[in-house]
Amino acid sequence: MFIDRMLNEGSTPLLEQMVRFTAARHELIAADVVNISTPGYKQKDLDLGAFQHILAERAEQRDSSGPENVDFSDIDQEVDEPRGMLFHDGANRSMDQLMSDQAKNALMHNVAIELLRQQFQTLELALKERVS
Amino acid sequence: MIDPTSNLAVTRASIPTAPSTPSGAGETGGTSFADTLKKSIDEVSRLQQDASSAVEDLAEGKTDNMSGVMTAVEKSDLAFKTLLAIRAKLMDAYDEIKGISV
Amino acid sequence: MFDSLDIGASGLAAQRTRMDTIANNILNARTTRNAAGGKETYRRKFVVLAPGQANDPSKPGVHVQEIDSDQTAFRKEYDPGHPDADAQGYVSYPNVDTAIETVDAMEASRAYEATVTMMDVTKSMINASLRLIA
Repeated sequence: MFIDRMLNEGSTPLLEQMVRFTAARHELIAADVVNISTPGYKQKDLDLGAFQHILAERAEQRDSSGPENVDFSDIDQEVDEPRGMLFHDGANRSMDQLMSDQAKNALMHNVAIELLRQQFQTLELALKERVS
Repeated sequence: MIDPTSNLAVTRASIPTAPSTPSGAGETGGTSFADTLKKSIDEVSRLQQDASSAVEDLAEGKTDNMSGVMTAVEKSDLAFKTLLAIRAKLMDAYDEIKGISV
Repeated sequence: MFDSLDIGASGLAAQRTRMDTIANNILNARTTRNAAGGKETYRRKFVVLAPGQANDPSKPGVHVQEIDSDQTAFRKEYDPGHPDADAQGYVSYPNVDTAIETVDAMEASRAYEATVTMMDVTKSMINASLRLIA
């Protein structure tokens, strides 16, 4: 009830979804990397733009109707469809593009975790009522 | 329910005060400590709102400014910890005053 | 997250097998006898990679499906004095082009390194998640 509100207010649910999304995407990129020389292999990826769009929509819904009414956890069904042939010309990404995508994805993951950790830490601090 | 801030207002009147308010500005004698405290709480709340929006923008891809987001988060964190420390000091002072036997 | 480590392991194994095959080709580039000593020119081998892990092809990853023989023709060199020369004096040498094998080796090595990097990134992400509770 109110504990739900406390744990889900602010940017916490968005960060949780970001962590989950980047972890799922990392697995797909990993499969693409090891299959770089497999003939006929279609590279798969998750659409970051679509994910961020849905995230923004949910956040707006929550801002207008209150945190109890909006659930963030079903985003994975909408975005986690691995899409082959994400690129118009049908060409697969080169190893360099894959490595750069992987690095960006890992950075986003670690940043989200760090921010999430800081949120929980602030809550714990408030509960402890002492700074240290 | 005893209001600790009103107790402090009474004791403040008999002690020469040095302006050590959280806002840091040189307040004149017209503003009470309670008002300053309330303003500080609002300030901390505003900083936390800013940090929260900055993080949401980062998650939604609306901004690329990683250092800006981190700065906002750190500022709100420090402000909150400062407020917490002040509250701890206030509670300690209140406990001390409560212990004074009349 | 830990699945990514399995995916990486399958990649390392596949590229290592590929490197072994390439090394074998290079070393046997002039071999005209088989292991028993009979007359048989070495035929170039290559690995056939397929997606999926070796023990479970439905999981993401890569594995060596089989090691096939390259059916292109042998290179014939005129050398009538050679003990393995045929009636016309030609010796059949393996269909191995060391230049191509070297380039393949470089590609396999690059893929191996990329897989190792990917596993490092996976470990850093898992460690970051651990810091949530620490």
